[in-house]
Amino acid sequence: MSSGTVSRRLRDLREDFDQSFAEPARSHDEEHLELLTIRAGGRPYAIRLSQTSGVHPDRPVTQLPGPQPALLGLAGFAGAVVPVYDLAALLGHPVDEVPRWLVLAAGTPQLGLAFHELDGHVRAATSDIIRESGDEAGDGRRGSLRGLVDLPGGSRPIIDIPATRAMVHALAGHTQATDEGNAP
Amino acid sequence: MTDRDPLRYFRIEARELVDQISAGVLDLDQQPGPDLVARLLRFAHTLKGAARVVKQTEIADRAHEFEEVLVPHRDESTPALPADEMRELLRLNDEIAGFVTALSAPPAPTVETPPEAAPVPPATPPPVAPPPAAPAVPYADPAAPEGFSEAAADRQPERAATADLDELLDAIGEASARIAPLREGGRTLARLHRNVESLADRLRVGRTTVSDAGARTAIRRLAADLGALGRRLTDAVDQVERELDEVRGRAEGLRLVPAGSIFTALRRAVRDAADAEGKRVRFQASGADVRMGPHLLNLISGAFLHVVRNAVVHGIEPEAQRLAAGKPAEGTVSVFVERRGRYAEFRCSDDGRGFDLAALRRTAEERGLLRPGADAGPQALIDLVLHGGISTAPGVTEVAGRGIGMDVARDVALQLGGEVAIDNRPGQGATVRLIVPLTLLSMNGLIVEAGGTTATMPLDAVRRCVRLAAEEMTAATATARLAHEGEVLPFLPLAGVLHATPDDEAGPGSGVAVVLAADRDTVAIGVDRLAGITTLVARPLPDLAPAAPVIASVSIDLDGNPRLVLDAHGLVAEARQESAAARGDGQNNARPKMPILVVDDSLTTRMLERSILESAGYEVDLAASGEEGLERARSREYGLFLSDIDMPGIDGFTFVARVKANPQLAHVPAILVSSRASAEDKRKGTEVGASAYVIKGEFNQEELLAHIRRLIL
Repeated sequence: MSSGTVSRRLRDLREDFDQSFAEPARSHDEEHLELLTIRAGGRPYAIRLSQTSGVHPDRPVTQLPGPQPALLGLAGFAGAVVPVYDLAALLGHPVDEVPRWLVLAAGTPQLGLAFHELDGHVRAATSDIIRESGDEAGDGRRGSLRGLVDLPGGSRPIIDIPATRAMVHALAGHTQATDEGNAP
Repeated sequence: MTDRDPLRYFRIEARELVDQISAGVLDLDQQPGPDLVARLLRFAHTLKGAARVVKQTEIADRAHEFEEVLVPHRDESTPALPADEMRELLRLNDEIAGFVTALSAPPAPTVETPPEAAPVPPATPPPVAPPPAAPAVPYADPAAPEGFSEAAADRQPERAATADLDELLDAIGEASARIAPLREGGRTLARLHRNVESLADRLRVGRTTVSDAGARTAIRRLAADLGALGRRLTDAVDQVERELDEVRGRAEGLRLVPAGSIFTALRRAVRDAADAEGKRVRFQASGADVRMGPHLLNLISGAFLHVVRNAVVHGIEPEAQRLAAGKPAEGTVSVFVERRGRYAEFRCSDDGRGFDLAALRRTAEERGLLRPGADAGPQALIDLVLHGGISTAPGVTEVAGRGIGMDVARDVALQLGGEVAIDNRPGQGATVRLIVPLTLLSMNGLIVEAGGTTATMPLDAVRRCVRLAAEEMTAATATARLAHEGEVLPFLPLAGVLHATPDDEAGPGSGVAVVLAADRDTVAIGVDRLAGITTLVARPLPDLAPAAPVIASVSIDLDGNPRLVLDAHGLVAEARQESAAARGDGQNNARPKMPILVVDDSLTTRMLERSILESAGYEVDLAASGEEGLERARSREYGLFLSDIDMPGIDGFTFVARVKANPQLAHVPAILVSSRASAEDKRKGTEVGASAYVIKGEFNQEELLAHIRRLIL
């Protein structure tokens, strides 16, 4: 084996190794889906990990008085001020308890969604995802749930983060810049 | 940058001197005084000397000529320079400024631009011709207000006000000084460590029997020392933290520039325009200390140059006309800069003739902007000015082109997300108002605590703070009023405004009333305690966070958490409303009520309900079906839905259920009004989420209104 082959092999291995960190776990293979299993307002849900950009516990949230009951307040992330909405309230069943967890929605402007409990992180087979009829119809009034996932312990509705973001944009009267690529 | 650049310091000094000369010449023009000539001579002389040293003969020669003009007037008690000499001074001033600016431009092709200006398109649209009177500036940055070298100099980073730098350095020094106790603490810790080790040695060797008591004493002493050390360290860390907070606030403030830095350029524009028009115009400015981002200020400066020129050219009448109208011969153009919460307001007022509405109407008709005979009110005509292509001047003068100035102002406002408004007072003058949101703003804040929440109040709105005993606090809260210096002020407890949960266990404690003044109104805001004063940089609320008007912006505290910055105007308005509401009778007109949506298929019922509600002071929208109701509900923010049950299409139960299922609407209360009187129907109403159920047969106006008042306010 020539030294060239070894060094190439070495380089490939190193790149693979680095790549495995650089790339989010979500794109491992196409038959599987990385999901966060959570509880908001006492009900079980799932969120696609690929639609989020971070999960944080116990982040202090500064209350912001205003017209939106679902807006819990503002949290600081690396010098940026991020609005935090209560997922349970957005899903239509607000509870008194203050949510402990916070997931950052992918895309801009920055948006935090708070929920009460984090059950875990699971990989589900794509075949376990059940699409409800009418999902693709784009019926705006269906809110932010898109399909169900069958998991041990029961099936959970999947919260679609882009749909939730769109709802928040509408609530906040934000001019729709939903195309993430086109965000100014 | 070369280290051995011989001009390095000259550039800085020359720029300072040019600024002082520019301002001094304008002073001399407006309020001549004996010391002014002497001061100008001193500046020019210093500049001449410095320029000679670095072999900048062009500058030195101009400075010399400048001196020559002034010398004969040195001993006059009120120097009176003939107009041509004044003009000569201004010309020399411009030339010198031009040379100095040229020196600052790097020889390399990289054009010096402030970092903020880089990604932004040029401030002024291409069709704007630079005023011919102004000198050309070599190497001018595209974003610079054309032709004004002073303004160009304003953006140089070296000019970050030295006083600010001094304050920053002081604060850093103070913070460093606070490190000393920490170092001392480290030494103490090392000593304690040695003591512990020697004690451990003694215990290990087993000599403890000799002095069990001794070991115990040693351990007790160690514990006490450790306790003291811990307290000292905590104190020291606290202090360092506070000082660092101050340092950060000041450093962030350095990124901002005082609004006053654009005044000289504006003043000069007024002076030049007045000269070209043969008018006498005085320039006034206030609000120089309001600080904001340099990029924002640059854009506004560019627009306001046009606005003030317009005021002189179109606004101020010729002297004879002014005297005939009973006005002073000298016109006045004033520029005000004011911070209003999260916005900055730039105002330019003149005491001229105002906009000539008849001329505007004629021009608009000629240009086809207005149909002849169309009924355009004064505001509609003014709006046409704002949209460009129109000028009130009979001809296109060399100084101000046809309303182009207003076009530029509008473009800048658009770019910055603000707005322009014109307040026209025919015969009395006009005010152009440019309101822009501030992205970053340095301010002094009073930190207050209320109901477990910490917030910051803008210190410049705080008049005084009054300590209130527990019973005074309770009384003020109950009546929403506070007697203060022989005056009754509206009193607003801050905890309620912030929706903070008051400390119930603590009971109503003593507190502080912060007396705030804004909008020519004074109110008292109740807080639990004051927690100091801070320099902070306020940033706008994020896009997705709509907030009550009492919140102006947000800052970041030391732990990286957002802290709310309150809006003085919002607090004053809120306190007025709450106080009026608490007085009871004023309730109806105190608070702008949210509109009510009436959903009923019967025209009669709709009209009846509307008349009842409107006479009670509510605004009412109507929908003839549940479907229409849902559509309207989504298009506007309502305070209440009032729905019939039996309707074609979806019925009232379904309407309410759908509303409740929609998170955007779920918070709006709904009342069902129906002729169905069964308990079953009432139960169903409650089930779907209706807040009240009113039976049509027993239709009682007062009962309905009582429900509504309970739900909507």
